[in-house]
Amino acid sequence: MSAAEDALLRTTGLTKRFQGVVALDNLDLDVKKGSIVGVIGPNGAGKTTFFNVLTGFYGPDAGTIELMGRRVDWLQPHEIAGLGVSRTFQNIRLFANMTALENVLVGDHVASAFVNPGPISSPGGRVGFRDQLAVIAGRMKHPLQMLASPLKWGWEVVATVAGLPIVRSTEKSAVDRSYELLRFVGLQGRSQELARNLPYGDQRRLELARALATGPKLLLLDEPAAGMNPQEGQAMMRLIRQIRDNLGVTVILIEHQMRVVMGVCERITVLDYGKKISEGTPQEVQADPRVIEAYLGRKVAAEVSGEAASDG
Amino acid sequence: MPENWTSRILPAWLNSALSTATGRAERAYGSVPNAIRLLVLALLLFLVPYYPNPFGGGLVFDDRWLAVFRLVGLYIMLGIGLNIVVGYAGLLDLGYVAFFATGAYLYALLASPASPAIDFPIDSVPWLFWVLLPMSLIVGALVGILLGIPVLPLRGDYLAIVTLGFGEIIRLFLVNKTDWTGGSQGLYGIKAPPLPGGLELKSTALTEWYFFIILGIFFTAFCAVRLRDSRIGRAWEAIREDEDAAAAMGVDTIKYKLFAFAMGAALGALGGMIFAAFQGSAIPDSFDLLVSINVVALIVIGGMGNTWGVVLGAVILIGIPDFLRFKEASDFLGWFDPLVPFADTHEWAQELRTNRFIVFGALLVLVMVLRPSGLIPSKRRKIEFSTPTEAA
Repeated sequence: MSAAEDALLRTTGLTKRFQGVVALDNLDLDVKKGSIVGVIGPNGAGKTTFFNVLTGFYGPDAGTIELMGRRVDWLQPHEIAGLGVSRTFQNIRLFANMTALENVLVGDHVASAFVNPGPISSPGGRVGFRDQLAVIAGRMKHPLQMLASPLKWGWEVVATVAGLPIVRSTEKSAVDRSYELLRFVGLQGRSQELARNLPYGDQRRLELARALATGPKLLLLDEPAAGMNPQEGQAMMRLIRQIRDNLGVTVILIEHQMRVVMGVCERITVLDYGKKISEGTPQEVQADPRVIEAYLGRKVAAEVSGEAASDG
Repeated sequence: MPENWTSRILPAWLNSALSTATGRAERAYGSVPNAIRLLVLALLLFLVPYYPNPFGGGLVFDDRWLAVFRLVGLYIMLGIGLNIVVGYAGLLDLGYVAFFATGAYLYALLASPASPAIDFPIDSVPWLFWVLLPMSLIVGALVGILLGIPVLPLRGDYLAIVTLGFGEIIRLFLVNKTDWTGGSQGLYGIKAPPLPGGLELKSTALTEWYFFIILGIFFTAFCAVRLRDSRIGRAWEAIREDEDAAAAMGVDTIKYKLFAFAMGAALGALGGMIFAAFQGSAIPDSFDLLVSINVVALIVIGGMGNTWGVVLGAVILIGIPDFLRFKEASDFLGWFDPLVPFADTHEWAQELRTNRFIVFGALLVLVMVLRPSGLIPSKRRKIEFSTPTEAA
C-alpha cells in the first residue's frame, strides 16, 4: 500500500496567521489510518489553533488539508464533522443545561437525520467570489435541485410536528446508540443528570461520548487528561486505546501530561511557534535536543546535554 | 431557596404538613395520563362561555370577558411562536411584529375591498379565509427565512438590534408604500369568515371567536412542544448553549437558526391573519414596536421556554390591564377603599391602566431581580438557576 492511500489526514504547508503572529507555520503532517498521534509543544505553540483549522473554525491562510484524499480546508465546521472529524475542547464545552443523554444525542445529530442533507456542495479550498457565483450559476441550471432543499426543510419540520413513524424510529435508534456510548465511556446510570452537575472527570468522559456519537473516522482530543490525577489519567489512556482498537477511530491528541502522551501515542509531533520541530516515536522525540531546547530554553538545554556528556 | 420560601413565614409543623400535601398532590397529578389531563383542560376551556354564575344568575364570563380572552389568546399564540425563537433557540428577536404584520396584510390585501392588489369582487371567494389560514404559515415561514438569511450569522445583541430595525422597517413600509398597502389609513371592510351552516365569524360573534382562538392556541402549543422534544429542538438547545460546540457536532447552525426563525414567523403570521380577521381591517398603527415588546415581555415575565409561562405572562400583561376597565375591577378594588384613606381606588385602577407601560417596566425589573428565570420557569431552567454556578 502506498503512503498516499494509507494517510487518513494530510496537511501540506498549513499556515495560519493572526495579525502578524504566525500561529501555524508551513505545517506538513501525515496521519496514518488507525494510529494514535500526539501533538505536543510549549504553551502558545499553535496546537489548539491546529485543531481549530482542522475542524473548520478557522480557514488556513495557506496550505491544504486532505481527509482521505478530499480537500476539506475552508469547509464549514458542521460539514467537516459530517465527513467524520470530531473533537473535544480544551476547556470542556458541554451543553451544560442539557442532560448527559441529550448531549450525546446532539452528537448523534448527523446520524439521526431522517432527511438526507445531500452531498456537501462546497469544493473545499478557499473559494473566491467568482467561484461562488459559478457554483450558484451551476445550480441555477437545475431548477428542480434549487427547489429540493426548501421542500426537504419543509418535510423535516412537518414530519417532526406530525410525529410520523419514520421520525419516531430514527429517534429511538438514536437514543439506543446514545445509551450504548454512555455505557462505553462508563457513564451508565448518569444519563438523566445535567451535564453541569457531573463531576469533572465524568464531564471529560461525556464530552468523549458526545464526540464519538458523530461516528468519527478521526477524533481530535484537546488535553483529554488535563486536571486528572495519575489513576484517572491511566483510565483515560485505556479509554483512548479502546476507542482506537474497538471502534477503529484514528486519534490525534494534544496533551501536556507526558506520562499520558508517551504512554498512549505511537507517533508524536512537536510544535514550537507554529513550526514542526520534531516528529517520530516517543523515544525519538524524547531524545531530540531541539525538543528539550523548546521546552527548557537554550541555556538549560545546553547544561542538560553538557551534564549528559560528562555523565557519559 | 425559592422552593421553600414558606418555611420562613410559617411554623415548622404547618410547613411540613403543607409540603407533604403539595407533594402528594403533585404525585397524584403526575400519575394522571397526559391525554386525560389535556382532555380535562380542553373541556374546562371550551365550557368557559357557559359557566353559570353561582351568585345571582347569568354567566361568569360574558361578552366583555370573551373579548378580553380573545386578545389574551391571540397574544398567547404569538408568545408561543416567539418562544421558539427566544426560549428554545436563544435568539433575541425584537422585530416579531414584522411577521404578525405579514400575516395580517396577506389576508387584508386579498380580502379587503380597499386593497390595491386585487380588483375582483372578493365575494366570489367565500372560503378565502380558510384557504389562506394554512397558507399564512407557509408565507410566514418564507418571509422569516428571507429576513433571517441576512441577520442570522449575527449573534446576541447584534441580532436583537437588527431585528428591532426590521420590525420598524416593515411598519414604515406599510405606511409609505401607499400604492401597495393602502398607506396609513390601512385596509378595511374585510368580510367575516364564513362558517358551515350559514354562520359567520363576525367580530361580534365572541363565543365562536373564543373557540377558534382556543383551537389556535392548542395548535401552536402542539407544534412548539413537538418541535422542542425532537432532534430539531435538541439542535436549537445546543445552539443556545454553545454554538461552536454544536457546529463541531455536525449541527448546521445557520440552518437550524433559520428553522427557529421560520417557525416563529409562521406562527406569528398565523396570529396576524387571525387578528386582521377579527378586526375586519389591517392598519399600520396596529403593527408598531409595542407588539414586539409586549410579546417579548410576556415571555420573559412568564418564564422563557415554557408554554405555561407564556400563558401566565399574557394573562398578566394583556389581560389585567383590560380587566381593570371592568366594573368588577372597581368593585373589587372598592373593598380596599377603607384601607387606603386619601385615595379613590377606582381612580387608581384607571391610572394604573393608562400608565401600564410604567407598571410593565417595573414588573420586568422586579421579575429579573427576584425570579430571573420567570414566574413559571421551565424545568431545566429551574435547575439551572437554583444550583450554584461552579461548573466550567
